[in-house]
Amino acid sequence: MQKRLHVNPLLRERRRTFTLLILPGALLYSVFYILPILMGFYFSLMDWNGISKSYNFIGLDNFAATFSDKSFARAMGFTVRYTVLLVVCTVLLSVLLAVLLNQDIRARGFLRTMYFLPAVLSMITVSLVFNQILYRVMPPIGKALGIEALSVNILSRKNTAIYGILFVHLWQGVALPTLMFLAALQTVPSDLLEAATLDGANAWQRFVHVTLVYLLPTLSVVLVLTVKSGLMVFDYVKSMTDGGPGGATQSLALMIYNNGFVRNRYSYSIAQAIEIGLIISAVSFIQIKLTGRKKVD
Amino acid sequence: MKRRHPIRLSRVATYVILLLGLALIVLPLYITVATTFKTPSESAVSYFTPPKSLYLGNYQQILADSRLYTAYGNTITITVVSLLFSVLLMPAMSYAVSRGRELSRGYQLLYYFLLVGIFIPFQVRMMPLVKLLSYLNMLNPAGIIVLYIAHATCESVFLYVGFLATIPQTLEEAAYIDGASTMQTYVKVILPLMRPIIATVVIRECLAMWNDFLLPLVTLNRSVKYWTLTMYQYNFQSEYAVDYNLAFSCFVLASLPIVIFYFIMQKQIIGGLTNGAVKG
Repeated sequence: MQKRLHVNPLLRERRRTFTLLILPGALLYSVFYILPILMGFYFSLMDWNGISKSYNFIGLDNFAATFSDKSFARAMGFTVRYTVLLVVCTVLLSVLLAVLLNQDIRARGFLRTMYFLPAVLSMITVSLVFNQILYRVMPPIGKALGIEALSVNILSRKNTAIYGILFVHLWQGVALPTLMFLAALQTVPSDLLEAATLDGANAWQRFVHVTLVYLLPTLSVVLVLTVKSGLMVFDYVKSMTDGGPGGATQSLALMIYNNGFVRNRYSYSIAQAIEIGLIISAVSFIQIKLTGRKKVD
Repeated sequence: MKRRHPIRLSRVATYVILLLGLALIVLPLYITVATTFKTPSESAVSYFTPPKSLYLGNYQQILADSRLYTAYGNTITITVVSLLFSVLLMPAMSYAVSRGRELSRGYQLLYYFLLVGIFIPFQVRMMPLVKLLSYLNMLNPAGIIVLYIAHATCESVFLYVGFLATIPQTLEEAAYIDGASTMQTYVKVILPLMRPIIATVVIRECLAMWNDFLLPLVTLNRSVKYWTLTMYQYNFQSEYAVDYNLAFSCFVLASLPIVIFYFIMQKQIIGGLTNGAVKG
């Protein structure tokens, strides 16, 4: 069969059609995806403010400068702390919810529908709604309950603002991992669980020794997605605290945005973006290596 | 699926936790919707009581704001046109790449080239993109449409090529033997088979574009007539920070289409987002 297709005129027709099918998409991708990346590498070696007519080549100075930049270190500190908290909470909550939703319970479909609903809303809508709730609804409740930390808007305090953002991120971000784990739970063979039960394993042992093994591939995907969404957190921070109070919640993505668009440190902000990009690439790469079955082939 | 009947206590705990979670999800949504039907003085008394009468003043005021319709128009245009082009270009390109890989190494290299962007976060190209669009005089909805099409290339190609690998080539070969051209084979034989994966990609992209904030913020924020729904809500909040009844009504109206879409297409949306995430 294969041989037949390799007759020359047919082959030429195929190649011509393939080129036609590829060209528009590949052109758009090259110009509007790859070119900006290359432009970014170029500008990161300059000292451009994004506005002036001329700029100079300064080599890797922008990259070097990030290492002595206190606000970069601070944003890095915030973002890493935020990401660790986000990843731990997301994984624990979504596995717990998935296991519970997988039980033989009433209204399972309804619960699943409602638990996933936050995932389809826009981050902006959700953060703006919670802005108001944290500002107006929560403090009176906190006062009534006598919980000091909740009796003021938690976004307005330096040491609690991070938890406000984190809560909103989790409110929305747990939905997708939960459903992914729920799907993975369907792959656990029930006879294996029954065998474990017969062998005298209790629920916890069954979970650790049987179920968890089947959740691992999903876990690695969830880890990477969550690490990325933590390291690049922007929408929530921008619309809830805008980095405040006093820069306490300035995330890396917000810092890049501010340097590039507000403070006119164009070249410098791209250098920062590239550095963070390298970290994220490393994370993605490690994940692909770890889950070898997802090879790009 | 059927389990041994678990002990009572764990069953109670399951319900308690799930209902707490449900309350945590529903309560903010309830407060939001309830507040839109209250006057400011009424909602100041309590956020939790249901509205006494269905006060429609908030919605009347928002619905009288012409920027709402502009934002709807922009978001719908951007999403629909981007999706149309994406469906026109991406499966076609993926098909050629997928089958071309057997003809020559060039296609394989092209495949890697089309995927390389997966590793590079948006922030790296964000600033240059805005410069590029402003050189080209494209800081407008048309510009953002082009960006969205290019933006989704890596993920769509990855999902499409992955799917095409599972379609046996005997079907195409039969079509060729019947004298069909490559184009006819693609359109008549392959494209219909790709429907499920196209649906997955379209749902993912549709939600991502409809809800996107960062790209409109950096490309379209300057001019009110280009605002999308997320921009409208964001700017509305800073404008009407005091009048939160009004702000909430704005958020509800902006989210309504996507929520309706979700309740109609729930299965496809949940499937598309979860499966797509696992594969992508």
